[in-house]
Amino acid sequence: MLTERWQTVLDHPILRLELRRVRRKHWWPGRRFFMFYPALLGAALGYGVLLVFSDLFDDPGGIHVAALVTGVPVVCLVTVVTSLLSMALPWIAPALTATTIARERELGTLDLLRATLLTERSIVLGKLGGCLARLWPGVLMLILLAPFQLIWVAGSGSTGLLSLVMIDSGFDIDQAWVWLLLTGVAGWLKPWGDLALHAAVGLFASALCRSSGAAIVVSYSAILVVRVALWLGQMLFSSLWSLQFVDWAQPMPAMVLVVPSLLSLAVAFIEMVGAALLVWAAVWWLKRA
Amino acid sequence: MATIIETRGLTKRYGRLTAVEELDLTVEEGVVFGFIGPNGAGKTTTMRILVTLLRPTAGEAWVAGHSVLKERRDVRRAIGYMPDFFGVYGDMKVWEYLDFFAACYEIPLETRQRLVDDLLELVDLAGRRDDYVDALSRGMKQRLCLSRALAHDPQVLILDEPASGLDPRARIEIRELLRELQAMGKTIFVSSHILSEIEEICTHIGIIEAGRLVAAGTLEEMRQRIQAQRVVRIGLMGQDFCGLSRAVGEVHAWLADRPDVVRVEPVAGNGEGDLQVVFTGNDDALARLLSEMVGMGFPVMMFHEKTGDLEDVFMRLTEGIVS
Repeated sequence: MLTERWQTVLDHPILRLELRRVRRKHWWPGRRFFMFYPALLGAALGYGVLLVFSDLFDDPGGIHVAALVTGVPVVCLVTVVTSLLSMALPWIAPALTATTIARERELGTLDLLRATLLTERSIVLGKLGGCLARLWPGVLMLILLAPFQLIWVAGSGSTGLLSLVMIDSGFDIDQAWVWLLLTGVAGWLKPWGDLALHAAVGLFASALCRSSGAAIVVSYSAILVVRVALWLGQMLFSSLWSLQFVDWAQPMPAMVLVVPSLLSLAVAFIEMVGAALLVWAAVWWLKRA
Repeated sequence: MATIIETRGLTKRYGRLTAVEELDLTVEEGVVFGFIGPNGAGKTTTMRILVTLLRPTAGEAWVAGHSVLKERRDVRRAIGYMPDFFGVYGDMKVWEYLDFFAACYEIPLETRQRLVDDLLELVDLAGRRDDYVDALSRGMKQRLCLSRALAHDPQVLILDEPASGLDPRARIEIRELLRELQAMGKTIFVSSHILSEIEEICTHIGIIEAGRLVAAGTLEEMRQRIQAQRVVRIGLMGQDFCGLSRAVGEVHAWLADRPDVVRVEPVAGNGEGDLQVVFTGNDDALARLLSEMVGMGFPVMMFHEKTGDLEDVFMRLTEGIVS
């Protein structure tokens, strides 16, 4: 039953077509790409082991030595790669999705597809899947880097777990794991939310516009507007919400530190819902035409 | 014969422009229906409604008994559609292209390979199986598109200007293919703005003009409609110029007296002894005319009817509507 279902997914004509294009254009990364991961994994494991054995919370100095020895190169690598990817993927995706349906329309093949037994939903989802498939090295990388990102989030930055403990902010170490999880998940979800939303905006523009050029312009402009709006909203909300906790006589409560992560989670959630709505709208638009 | 395509009061408006107006069309199973009209007459719009790509503003249409509005999937299953442009992906191989569309018609993976080979065989492209679509000539691309439309073995083929932009040879190849398909029992609904292009393969003709169906019927009916007045050319023989002109004069006078002859006029130019006769009457009457002329001893050397081709029908029927 399950295999049958997989077969229908894998035998989806549009997905197959797009995958064939990916393969033909030699977009498969070489073996070196896959060598990179075990190396990173090994280094990160070493970092973790050192963290544990350096008697974590009694001897902050020890952590820093350990971090300096093994952590810093790993952290730098993970930071650079993940931040690059989480920037690049969401901004490359709309270029692919915006052209995908509009291009079919330019070629005149969209009518042919619609005249077949393929449903509009199937066309849109197949196209979306095809675009994501084109980004697959980046997508895979971002998935694989998730555990390192968690470590990095935990261990670095001014809001990192370690610095919090060290500045003695009244941060309860029992709560710290909740905080760690929250920050890590929020940080990891962010690029996916961005990717989903941007790809969906591109897809909707593609279903809407007559030419792929117009679709690209429309989708990037729309994304820019949405991004600015989301950013402003996030800033405003975060500052307003934090203000109520501020009592200048008291040390900053730990709750305040969770706000950015919570907001980031909320934004990722909004983005994903928005993406789903946009994909649905694209299907609806194609059906209507 | 069962009706396979039927439209009733089909209307499509784009804003203030009416592309198709109150179109009532009936096409029977197994015929080759030529849908003729000048550019912009509403042919493509009608076809797009029939293949469920466009919703009519008003009216209803049925293909193979299924409503174009309500049973779209059944209609799509019954129709093979070829639009007036090549819908080809240049970056695909020929077999991949067909395989892709076969998959779109939910033909299972196992049977597809075989089907693709059969289709390529049918349109004579088996040798180009592994070439890229871009490498094909226009005529080959058109044949490939036709084979794509056949992938799911549809009952009806809707072909929008299949011969436009093709060289004479490619045109003939398409025509032969359509003949073959008709022999296979498919109903073919083919449009063109050039009548002579499809005149030879059509069994039925419908003429559309400014969104209205001007005339429809079998090829013969359409011919007769316009040929209530037939034009016959008669060539006479004479020993010399005087003899000839006397013979012409006699025949002219004799013909002009007949009730079924509307008009007689000498043909100018090198056909010195030729007369052009506008005649009303059926084939029997025409045969009688000839035998009577021979019986009168007129030196008839040539007697043939100018079969006004359908181009004339078309021109007369669509006269004045556009302007």
